[in-house]
Amino acid sequence: MSGTVPDVVGVWLHSYEEDTETTAVYRPRDHPFRPSRRPRRGLEFRAGGTFLELRPGPDDRPREVTGRWRSEGGDRIRVAFPEEDGAPIEISVISCADGVLRIAK
Amino acid sequence: MLVHRELLNASMTYRAQRSVIENRALQYELGRRTSARRGVITIPVVVHVVSNRNHPEQDISEEQIRSQFTVLNQDFRAANPDVDKVPDVWKPLVADTRIEFRLATQDPNGDPTDGIVRVVTDRTGFDHRHGVKSSATGGSDPWPSDQYLNMWVCQLTGGLLGYAAFPGQPPHLDGVVILHSAFGTTGTADFPGNPFNGGRTATHEIGHWLNLFHVWGDDDGACTSDDKVVDTPNQADANTGMPRFPRITCNNGPNGDMFVNYMDYTDDAGMFMFTKGQLARMNACLEGPRASFLAAAAMPALAQEATVGSAAGAEAAEKFVSDGDVERLLHDSERLTVEVLNDIRAVLDTVAGRPRGREARGGVRR
Repeated sequence: MSGTVPDVVGVWLHSYEEDTETTAVYRPRDHPFRPSRRPRRGLEFRAGGTFLELRPGPDDRPREVTGRWRSEGGDRIRVAFPEEDGAPIEISVISCADGVLRIAK
Repeated sequence: MLVHRELLNASMTYRAQRSVIENRALQYELGRRTSARRGVITIPVVVHVVSNRNHPEQDISEEQIRSQFTVLNQDFRAANPDVDKVPDVWKPLVADTRIEFRLATQDPNGDPTDGIVRVVTDRTGFDHRHGVKSSATGGSDPWPSDQYLNMWVCQLTGGLLGYAAFPGQPPHLDGVVILHSAFGTTGTADFPGNPFNGGRTATHEIGHWLNLFHVWGDDDGACTSDDKVVDTPNQADANTGMPRFPRITCNNGPNGDMFVNYMDYTDDAGMFMFTKGQLARMNACLEGPRASFLAAAAMPALAQEATVGSAAGAEAAEKFVSDGDVERLLHDSERLTVEVLNDIRAVLDTVAGRPRGREARGGVRR
């Protein structure tokens, strides 16, 4: 791992009720989230570069998909997955402070 | 490496079992096999109430538990008071599944029980990783899953309402897990503004336990996959809240998404029905991987024997259910071929960089 956004390290769940037109809001997993029938998506950035995405699963359990994350410089993070788990994803961090991670939609 | 190998083997076993289960479901769906089941099947249930020692309200009352069974026995019998809210176009599809649920009256040792296991834990909540299903992780150990539907009720974290296990899961993970404030209609579920106060989370999760998929096909907003049920329209994604009829996606007009189905994600007050096609899948499940429940109901004496040794129960199930193994093997190969082709197509899509979902999700772009 290399880059300038180490403060995103942690487990973040989508607090979609707080989203705006342009911003997706994530909060730490111990946040008192409102119950949601649709499982919340999750992003886990580990300090060693491991990434865990929680995707809604067919049995209502979040499905864990493991990848690797790295900073692309500035506010950008790139995550790569094993081939069978899908294309790489790009995340643009708007801010990460006071227990709130905001990323661009 | 050993752990990895064990996980891989377990996954391969699960995948193989799922393939057999899906082949059976397909035969029922196509009408090549029909249900031999007559009358009403009643599933014995053990409810594990796992409560935090500092939150005694999580130790829900027997009244709240019984209110959940009232809902289940209405919903699965199409006797729910709101079934008349099903849009007219789908009313002919409403299914009485002839499945009922009751608290177990006999424990695995053959002793009388009220069917409720109460465990106090230091855990402040459980996530989706099955911790509530084991005493070693602060939860409650399951009763034999071929004789009981295990239902865990607890505090869940991350806003999780509940989750299920499809047939084919290892026995120690089999069952459903429900947030205590979404369980039943009274007690901790009864507070103003709770959209999950109608007991429908358990209806939905038991639908999964009986091998039903979500009506949108879990394809992340695409229209490429459905729920393998003939009479539910293909729809793009989950519906939440209280949608208004009709809601058109995937060119499924004029009637649109069947958001009133228990296997969508609408609020409790917005879901009212299973379909006859879904019942076919449930019957395939009950006469296949969950046949031990039919055998126990059909032969109470053997069921009692089975509480002492599960081998007798398995033997009874084997005798009771007609096998049709030759035909099943023929169709196994057909379904496996389709699965392999789908896998190849998915890999080609990935290599070509074609997106599998419809749109970006939660700020994550693919």
